[in-house]
This record gives sequence, C-alpha cells and structure tokens, in this order.
Amino acid sequence: MFRMQGSKVLAVDMTGDAVKAKNGSMVAYDGQMAFKKLSGGGEGLRGMVTRRLTGEQMTVMEVRGQGTCWFADRASEINLVRLQGDKLYVESSNLLATDAGLRTGTTFTGLRGATQGNGLFTTTVEGHGQAAITSDGPAVVLRVSPQYPLTVDPGAYIAHQGNVRQSFQSGVTFRTFLGEGGGEAFQIRFEGDGLVYVQPSERNTVAGDL
Amino acid sequence: MAFREINSKMVEATVVPGQRLFSQRGAMLAYRGEVSFTPNIQGGQGGIMSMIGRRVAGEATPLMSVEGSGTVLFGHGGHHVQVVHLTGDTLYVEADRLLAFEGTLQQGTMFMGAQGGVMGMVRGQVTGQGLFTTTLKGHGAVAVMAHGGVFELPITPQRPVHVDPQAYVAHHGDVRNKLSTALGWRDMVGRGSGEAFQLELSGSGTVYVQASEEKL
Repeated sequence: MFRMQGSKVLAVDMTGDAVKAKNGSMVAYDGQMAFKKLSGGGEGLRGMVTRRLTGEQMTVMEVRGQGTCWFADRASEINLVRLQGDKLYVESSNLLATDAGLRTGTTFTGLRGATQGNGLFTTTVEGHGQAAITSDGPAVVLRVSPQYPLTVDPGAYIAHQGNVRQSFQSGVTFRTFLGEGGGEAFQIRFEGDGLVYVQPSERNTVAGDL
Repeated sequence: MAFREINSKMVEATVVPGQRLFSQRGAMLAYRGEVSFTPNIQGGQGGIMSMIGRRVAGEATPLMSVEGSGTVLFGHGGHHVQVVHLTGDTLYVEADRLLAFEGTLQQGTMFMGAQGGVMGMVRGQVTGQGLFTTTLKGHGAVAVMAHGGVFELPITPQRPVHVDPQAYVAHHGDVRNKLSTALGWRDMVGRGSGEAFQLELSGSGTVYVQASEEKL
C-alpha cells in the first residue's frame, strides 16, 4: 500500500510483499526489510541487451519485508499514479517506486527524447498497481481528449498514461537562427485520450536554449 | 514559546530581557525592537574548557548570542526549519543543522563512541558527521534545519527504526543508535542496492528524518 506522508515522502506498508524503488531512495524503515539490486529495462537476457543499447538503465532495488518503508528523493515532490491495466510512460529519472507486480520496460521515443535531454528512450510501466513518480515542484495532471489535444514543453514533461499519440512540433523559424527565438522552439503534442503529468520547472534541454 | 514558525522555512523568535538565545551566525533575517547580536567566540555555552572541547570535536559552529527585547526572524539557505520542544530530555543533533536554540538549554558535545561502541565511531565516519555530535538538554525549544520537509518517526522498544544515515536529522529520547550494515557480496562487485549502511535506532523516543539524501 502506497500512501503519502506530506508531499515529499512516500510511505509503503508491506506485509511480506515487495516493491521496486530507485536505488538508494530509502530514508527510513521499521520492521524487517531486505534490499536487493535489480536492473531496469525488463527482465532476463533481453532486458540486459536493451539496457546496454538504450542507455535507459535505471538502477532499481527490490525492497521486500514486513513493516513500513519510507522513500524520498532529494526533496522532490511525489505523485501517486494508479494503473489499471494501462501503460505509464515516464522518464526513468522521475520514477521513484512501483508495485512489484508492475512490469517495467523500455521504449523508443523518437526525436522527442533528444530534445528532452533524456536520451532517445523512455521507461514504461504496465499492469495493475501503483507507481510513484517524482517531479520538481508539484506536478499538474492535464487531460488529453480527442477534441482537446495538448502541447507541452519537453523540459516540463514528466510522464503520460493512456491511449495517447505523441508528435513532435518545432517552432523553429529563421528568427531562431538569428538568436531571436522565444525559448520555445520545440514542443511535444499529445493527441488521443489520456493524462499527461507536467512539472512547474524545466529541465535543461536543447529547446530551452533556442 | 520562544519560537513560532512563520512558514516552513522561517521561524520567529521572541527575545525578552534576561533570556538569551543562541543562533547560527548569520542566520538572522530581520528583527524588531532592541536586539543585540554578539558573536560568540566560544561557540556556545560553558567556559574555555567547553570551547576547547568543541574545537577538538569539530562541532564548533560559529554561534552568536541574541539578547535584548523584540522579535527576530531566523532562516538559512532556504532549508526547511523544524521546531523541536524539549521537556527535560536530550536532543542529539549535528552542530551544522542547528539554526537557533534557547539559552535555557544546556549544550554539550558527545563522543559517538560512547553510544554504540566501535560501530558508533564507524557511523560517524560513514555519515560524514565525525565522531562527535552536539547534545541539547533541558527545557526549551530548538530550531533544526533540514533539506526538504522533516517527518517524525516514533521509536518504541518493539519497533526499532532504521534510517538512511544521510537522511537522519536528529533524535531525542532514550534511544540507542548503532550502525547496521547490510554489506553483501553484491556490494563488493558494485551491484549494491545503495542501502548498505543504516542507522538502527532502538529504545523509546522520536527520530527526525528529512525527505532527501542530501547533507546540508
């Protein structure tokens, strides 16, 4: 069971089950806990090859035991996401913890990844259960519906879920090349039906400089 | 009460004549009334001997004493501030996390080896806190700084609490601390879970933990 203790600390009550969490994110626990390192990007040999190729190697640990375990990551805000068979796309650096029953994998994001400064690949979380994602400042959840597509700054995007198509938009004009750009040269456009998580802060991206 | 939390990062202290406050040097943000700030070369209470003791222990944070009548605002580095009220028990805290405390509290330095033996010393080394820690004893309030929010965890004899040494802020009560290691062969080959060292706190009391693994 995931529950929030304030906005920056995640408390997980465990009764012999396990959770996957970012390496080194435990701040305290009571009861009995065991920590074991796993590697992200899927299980088995195939997972290992993907990790090597994609560079999306989130180091994950498996926490198993009885009691309560508290997680936090550099005082960033934590958001709980409930998954009911759908798929969550999240940057590996923003994924704090998931239920052990959820599957994690890696997908190709195309050109969008390069503008986010996070590489060309992103982490996916799939199944039934809860996941906790971190954001720099409290995140807003924006709904995308067929009538209302959404456009997001790549540096402020943290995650999305649902049946959403994403495309990459560029507002590069000749002014950008003259150094007169508005600082919003690239955007990600979401269409379809789902949720997008946006943080009130921007990572350093190529787009931010243009 | 001497300290009032204005917001999560600032406290307001009321100074009345005859009652002294100690605060970290340079932590004053604003004040009202007639208040004087005297740098305290000795770095706290006690005579020359305690000063030497603190110097040797490396727990000598530059402190200043605040006297007069009025109100003073304290804050430092945008860190979160937590006010802890002591009623006769002892608070164990790192000197650099101390923002301000009332003069009614007795300040001391404790050798970590005294609590937890050899592992206590190892703990000091591992956490980068050194072998000594500051104690505050008596009745009064203390303002402690932390990165990110602070949450309290109760410690009971049945339920010892394990804390990441980097996230540990302070503790009070009748608590024994020891460093527990979960070093396995995986850590040796560089496949550790990042949680090789934990601070085990047992007894009865309260531990304050911050929402971050960053030291101040």
